[in-house]
Amino acid sequence: MSINPNESVAVSPSIPHHRKITFSHLMNKYGMLFVLIAMVILMSFLSDAFLATQNLINIVRQISFVGIIAMGVTMVIITTGIDLSSGSVVALVSVVAASLAHPGEYPLIIPIAAGLCIGICTGFINGFITAKGKIPAFIATLGMMTAARGLALLYSGGRPIGNLNESFLVLGKGTILGIPFPIVMFILIGIISHLLLSKTKFGKYTYAIGGNEQAAKIAGINVDRYRIMIYAYAGLLTAIAGMMLTARISSGQPSLGLMYELDAIAAAVIGGTSLNGGIGTIPGTIIGALIIGVLNNGLDLLGVSSYWQQILKGAIIAAAVLLDSRKNKRA
Amino acid sequence: MRKNKVWALVFIVTLIAATMAGCGSDKKNASSNEPSDSAKSSSSASAPADGKTGGEKKKLKIGAAMPIFDDKWLSYLYDSMKKAASENDVDLVMVDAKNDNNTQLTQMETFVSEKVDAILLVPVQTEAVDPMLEAAKAANIPVVVVNRKPNESALKDIYAYVGSDSLVAGTIQMEKVAELLGGKGNIGIMNGQLGQEAVVNRTQGNKNVIAKYPDLKLIREATANWQRSEGMTLMENWIQSGEKFDAIVANNDEMAIGAIMALEAAGKLDKTIVAGIDGTVDALDYVKSGKLKVTAFQDPMGQGKVGLETAIKAARGEKIDNKMIDVPFEVITPDNVDVYFKKWGK
Amino acid sequence: MDTEYILELEGVTKEFPGVKALDNIHLKVRKGTVHALMGENGAGKSTLMKIIFGIYTPDRGVIRFKGNPIKLHGSKDAIRLGISMIHQELSPVPHMTVAENIFLGRESTKGFGWINRKKMDQEAGEWLQSLNINIDPRTKMIDLSIANMQMVEIATAVSHHADLLIMDEPTSAITDKEVERLFAIIDSLKKKGVTIIYISHKMDEIFKISDDITVFRDGQCIGTKAAADLTQDTLIQMMVGREIKQVFHKEPADIGEVALSVRNLTRNGKFRDVSFEVRKGEILGIAGLMGSGRTEIIESIFGIVPADAGEIYIKGRKVTIKSPQDAIRYKMGLLTEDRKITGAFLPLSVKDNMIISSIDDFTVKGYIKGKLANDMCRAFVERLNIKTPSLNQTMLNLSGGNQQKVLLGRWLMNNPDILILDEPTRGIDVGAKAEIHKLMSRLAQTGKAIIMISSELPEVLGMSDRILVMHEGVPKGELEREKASQERLMELAYS
Repeated sequence: MSINPNESVAVSPSIPHHRKITFSHLMNKYGMLFVLIAMVILMSFLSDAFLATQNLINIVRQISFVGIIAMGVTMVIITTGIDLSSGSVVALVSVVAASLAHPGEYPLIIPIAAGLCIGICTGFINGFITAKGKIPAFIATLGMMTAARGLALLYSGGRPIGNLNESFLVLGKGTILGIPFPIVMFILIGIISHLLLSKTKFGKYTYAIGGNEQAAKIAGINVDRYRIMIYAYAGLLTAIAGMMLTARISSGQPSLGLMYELDAIAAAVIGGTSLNGGIGTIPGTIIGALIIGVLNNGLDLLGVSSYWQQILKGAIIAAAVLLDSRKNKRA
Repeated sequence: MRKNKVWALVFIVTLIAATMAGCGSDKKNASSNEPSDSAKSSSSASAPADGKTGGEKKKLKIGAAMPIFDDKWLSYLYDSMKKAASENDVDLVMVDAKNDNNTQLTQMETFVSEKVDAILLVPVQTEAVDPMLEAAKAANIPVVVVNRKPNESALKDIYAYVGSDSLVAGTIQMEKVAELLGGKGNIGIMNGQLGQEAVVNRTQGNKNVIAKYPDLKLIREATANWQRSEGMTLMENWIQSGEKFDAIVANNDEMAIGAIMALEAAGKLDKTIVAGIDGTVDALDYVKSGKLKVTAFQDPMGQGKVGLETAIKAARGEKIDNKMIDVPFEVITPDNVDVYFKKWGK
Repeated sequence: MDTEYILELEGVTKEFPGVKALDNIHLKVRKGTVHALMGENGAGKSTLMKIIFGIYTPDRGVIRFKGNPIKLHGSKDAIRLGISMIHQELSPVPHMTVAENIFLGRESTKGFGWINRKKMDQEAGEWLQSLNINIDPRTKMIDLSIANMQMVEIATAVSHHADLLIMDEPTSAITDKEVERLFAIIDSLKKKGVTIIYISHKMDEIFKISDDITVFRDGQCIGTKAAADLTQDTLIQMMVGREIKQVFHKEPADIGEVALSVRNLTRNGKFRDVSFEVRKGEILGIAGLMGSGRTEIIESIFGIVPADAGEIYIKGRKVTIKSPQDAIRYKMGLLTEDRKITGAFLPLSVKDNMIISSIDDFTVKGYIKGKLANDMCRAFVERLNIKTPSLNQTMLNLSGGNQQKVLLGRWLMNNPDILILDEPTRGIDVGAKAEIHKLMSRLAQTGKAIIMISSELPEVLGMSDRILVMHEGVPKGELEREKASQERLMELAYS
């Protein structure tokens, strides 16, 4: 939106009013979208199979789990925090939900409620320790990462938990109007998270806390409470992803979600979320997740060796962070 | 403030509930706790037995340094060691390193100072065994390493290595697949976590066999990090690549199951042979239903029994010709799957 | 070459973007004396010291040290020549010992980089002894009091064979007894032939120890006189100078009932027994030097750091304020001293910066009504004449004056009864300054009670109906507008 030119808004000479849309300005704002588009075009030339509908659906479905987690992680990073526990919480949710989802034992609501509850609780603990205990988020969530994985192994005795209820499996395998359920959830949660972050008080406070915590306090924001809520929301999304993933592989596994936290953080950072806080968007993170998805899928299609895949992924993340720091310097 | 307290309460209750649920299921799953209990009882129960038989001949004492008691597969290995120990009337002291190298080293040093007659070692990490072996060597106590193969230099210092050769596993897995394919077809190999010994050697075994058949072609190889979910993703992408796969050969069963799920969803499972390694209970279900055509069973009971018997030989100072003792992998197919269900006690 | 002066400055000038921090400074410091520098905050003393210590390089002018012109590139050069500085804020390495701190960067070694701890401890002990400082060189810095840390820094400077020692407000954080000790050490340094440049706001100290006094004002050197030739009054005269005629847009407003009153407010170590009241329509100025407790008082009133004792009444009702949220609930607003650190959300838009404190007014069930917020912001942008290309402009890209107006807009949107402004015009250009003054006057006319803290005497005198003067955490008196003058204010603030 722009200001009505008829209004008498004086413009100081230091700020160019008729800002020309320059290349670097566009790159700053939409750089990663261009990268995504360029990758899609490149891949479609390199592999005939890439643009097939089924393949595109696969890409989105494959990335939907990490993508959903990344949305919560984005919010956490905007507040200058970090969440290293996502992968382990996926595992804990997975084994607990699976253990309650055997056919003929409990109604579907029980495993789902238990899973969501674990997600929210672990997120709450992360937030509580960070906000009230004044412990760096890196350490608090590192602790949760270890503890949740340990709990998952303890709970499951180190074994996968199979034999799951058909109705539970719908979470991972079902479709709505022909669209796989995880993709529907990815879109739905994407919209909800985007609105939450851009249009609500909760969202504005999230940015404010990350932008300047001290100023946020003085502006009358209950910083601790909102911080805890943000981590709890991240935990909730992690739980949703964890249950859908469990349903998709028909098995609750204590080793599930290994390194997901890093993929989620990578998606957020590639999507322009600043580790210095105060900056980041959900559409950006979705683009970041899709870039990772297209990269993984494309390299698999081309049969590129796993070693090279890792190197390329690392290079892209480093480049994204570099772009981010350049952007900040310019501003 | 009040709201915070309510939240705190909810959190504490949940945490306690979760912990208790965890413990509860652990008890249900008795086998995972069993080794520690029986380990204690075997060492204490052997004391009176010692008095009974004691006298003219000293009873052999064997120390067993184990990496982690809380592991399903290893628990079968521990049980068979104990069974063999009581059959041979030797005193077996089994300790848990809780997956910590340092703890294991301390435990080995304790065995040395206790002057046990031989040591059975399942290393926490194969790269970290050298200082442990040095301690034993200095005291002239023979060490038998079981299940996890240490590096070449360490092999010189031990009495024997009892285990199943990863190379053999990869070989017999691929041979069975080759047989099912009639020696002709396109192969995709799914690797576990890159760089691990089992991944390198299982894959090498696969490739050695492929090299023998001119019509077998390895068209894709990539990692799925031992994970079912990643195996599924990888398979989906491979299917989309348009390549025709006649067989998917995975380094373990979980990745193979992931591949099966992706192939099934794409309606291509009946045209593709999927093979895994390990013979886990889940995998046996898939073998039984015919979806998983091949898996290789690594025999914990065999390794435990042979390991202990080798340790007795070592304690008695017997000479052996070959210090590499192989407990072979066994191929599981739908034809013999019921035998293995029994082995797992199902 | 021997001269009477250890340090001579000729025409030293330093400009920062927009300000002339030092304008053609001529200064001579006699060898072996204590030379005091005085002046208001921002008069240029600190900048000058940073130039002498090599942290800044002057744009123009010559510095002579022991008669030779010198050019410094960083404080290392200064230390090498024999110039050391005790900063206002000490920065020791807290978990290292006294000896390690003294010899930081020039440790004695036995070869192969092995530290010769024994030798270091012994030498450090000797340096401390030579100044009659009784501290074990093996103590960790973190276990020392601030005064003792200062002593260690002085010993460090002496161990560098400093001939010129700059002390920037060394007594701001230590007790009276410790001040005595410090003065004894300064005396013994003087006897050793060390010259000391001493910066302080405390008149009694200055008259006690200094030989010469130089006064600075607005980046200019007003003059140097022997301490013996000065009295407190003549010194204040020098500091204030001629009345600078400046127009302030203060218009009369109807003064109504008491909006806020504070009784015996105390925060340990910061201020004590502060009582005052401010009425509707009134502008209460709070004056005093930096560190006199001005900012701390309003921090406590606003709930950022609650007071330890005392009462706060709003419209005659006693209230408890534990957090800024409480303060906002009682219809207060606070424009903080440091815009960038405690006020603005630099990465966020102008709009978000404005609505953040009154977000509930635009929110229905947590969802922000975009149009309503935009209209409101646009109205304030217009009213405050904020120069921004759009409401979505990032705060970072606005000038200081406009940032300040946005923050003011934030609190005005909240429609507070009591508005607290801490240095509302610091670091912003003259035009914006006048606009803010005009606005304050208008707000008072609409019946708001305003508390303004300012280091600028003309501003305090020009805008306030009443002025509360603070000195070292204690209120020294209240001046009515008519009776207030720069001299009177200075007297109270420096007493």
